Amino acid sequence: MTARANAEVGDTASPASAPWSIRLDEVTVRYRNGVTALDRVSLDIAGGEMVSIVGLSGSGKSTLIRTINGLVPVTAGGVTVGGTRVDLAKGRELRRLRGEIGMIFQSFNLAGRTSVLNNALVGRFSRTAWWRSLLALPTAEDKALAFEALDRVGILSKAWTRADALSGGQQQRVAIARALAQQPRLMLADEPVASLDPPTALAVMNDLQRINRELGITVLTNLHLMDLARRYASRMIGLRAGRIVYDGPASSATDADFEEIYGRPIEKDDVLG
Amino acid sequence: MTAAPTPSRVPPKPRTWPRTLAIWAVLLVITAIAASPFVGIDLGAGFGAVAKSWQNGVNKLLEMFQLDWRILPRTFPPLLQTIEMAIAGTAVSAILAIPLTLWSARLTNPWTPGRGVVRFILNVIRAIPDLLYAAILVAMVGVGALPGILSLVMLDVAIIVKLVAEAVDAGQTGSIEAGRAAGGTQFQINRALALPDMWPSFASQTLYVFELNVRVSAVLGLVGAGGLGLLIDEVRTYFHYDQLAVIILELLVVIVLLELGSSWLRRRLV
Repeated sequence: MTARANAEVGDTASPASAPWSIRLDEVTVRYRNGVTALDRVSLDIAGGEMVSIVGLSGSGKSTLIRTINGLVPVTAGGVTVGGTRVDLAKGRELRRLRGEIGMIFQSFNLAGRTSVLNNALVGRFSRTAWWRSLLALPTAEDKALAFEALDRVGILSKAWTRADALSGGQQQRVAIARALAQQPRLMLADEPVASLDPPTALAVMNDLQRINRELGITVLTNLHLMDLARRYASRMIGLRAGRIVYDGPASSATDADFEEIYGRPIEKDDVLG
Repeated sequence: MTAAPTPSRVPPKPRTWPRTLAIWAVLLVITAIAASPFVGIDLGAGFGAVAKSWQNGVNKLLEMFQLDWRILPRTFPPLLQTIEMAIAGTAVSAILAIPLTLWSARLTNPWTPGRGVVRFILNVIRAIPDLLYAAILVAMVGVGALPGILSLVMLDVAIIVKLVAEAVDAGQTGSIEAGRAAGGTQFQINRALALPDMWPSFASQTLYVFELNVRVSAVLGLVGAGGLGLLIDEVRTYFHYDQLAVIILELLVVIVLLELGSSWLRRRLV
């Protein structure tokens, strides 16, 4: 991938360097209540890939994506992102790693009572001095990055609006801008469109695809809908009961493949329409 | 119209009446024990005393209804001091409560032992009556408004921190998770994300303790901690019930006005 080759001067929302690869080595996650969410999962994703993880709710998708930035600690195995072991990182090093990994969520996870700009500036956390956070005095450079990220997802005009005054689709765009303001080398998306209506869902998926293609950032997306997975990912990973049951190209995945992933016949609700 | 047939899949209604009955029985037994002359308060004797001295009570009440308005000008300076104490106490405790609230809520401070220590201290502070603080502080720093303000601050901080920290913990976790995923420290997350979200509940509880402070600081003077209480103590000592009534009436008007103002403000803020 050479998407990074021709970054123009001032194109600050582009990542500063190469996209990150992901490697999971025999990863097991067992929660304190005894549930095994991931069972010896091994996975290799190259930098710049656009991958979707497909499975029913409870299959371990959310857990898998959260092990990659250390939000969920692994019980056994190793997680390597961009050459660094996330599962061994702590404190400052873990925060620095997370700073390079953007993440968006099903329920957007914005701070509703503060401005869209302030939410985008969250993406600059890992590179902001504590006293600047305390006084709410971002550097001019951080502000420029936040504005540019908002512009990239077409929501710049709402920069001074309170986040909870926006529609669901607009909020998810702000969340994408927050992740872009990190200048990430890797983007994680946990069911990014499950709370959105179909046209808005497609628009948000298009945004993610553009991020992958134009900025060359590795994108890993949890999805549970067949047609979205086929259309927006080059590679698809199927999860069932914490194990990988499918790993291959997304566009050529057959209905039978999906039935294998879901562990049941295809239903009407399995496609966006 | 006929009633729709009940489908056979309806689960049987759970039996709740034994529990309800048990709750009522326990309440009744406790009340009976507390009111029995051998264990608790001798209600019979109490009612007897009321019956015997009712004439005395009526006389006091009649005295109170003959308002002696000459006292009014003398009440203004201490009333002003009472309100000043309430405002100063609220302001100081609001500032102290912000970091302590963030420290005491699980979402904004994952370190359980550290949280527990502060919560325990605040629970102890809340458990002791305000008049007791005022009495002790008067002995320590002398008669006047200062011990009054200090005792208000102690209580206010404990109240605001408890109520707002509970509101924080009952709130949304999403933005905090996002802040963590972006590589933020807990401090950054609290400052930029948790603080704006806790603002409505913080403002509301701060206004609530202000109302509380006006009422409390009016009686703190009884133990020498400044304000209207000093004057109340004086007229009561000399049995000037006609003057006491004027002070009570004045206090009532002031408190009602302040509460109207603060509830109006609260509606705006939240």
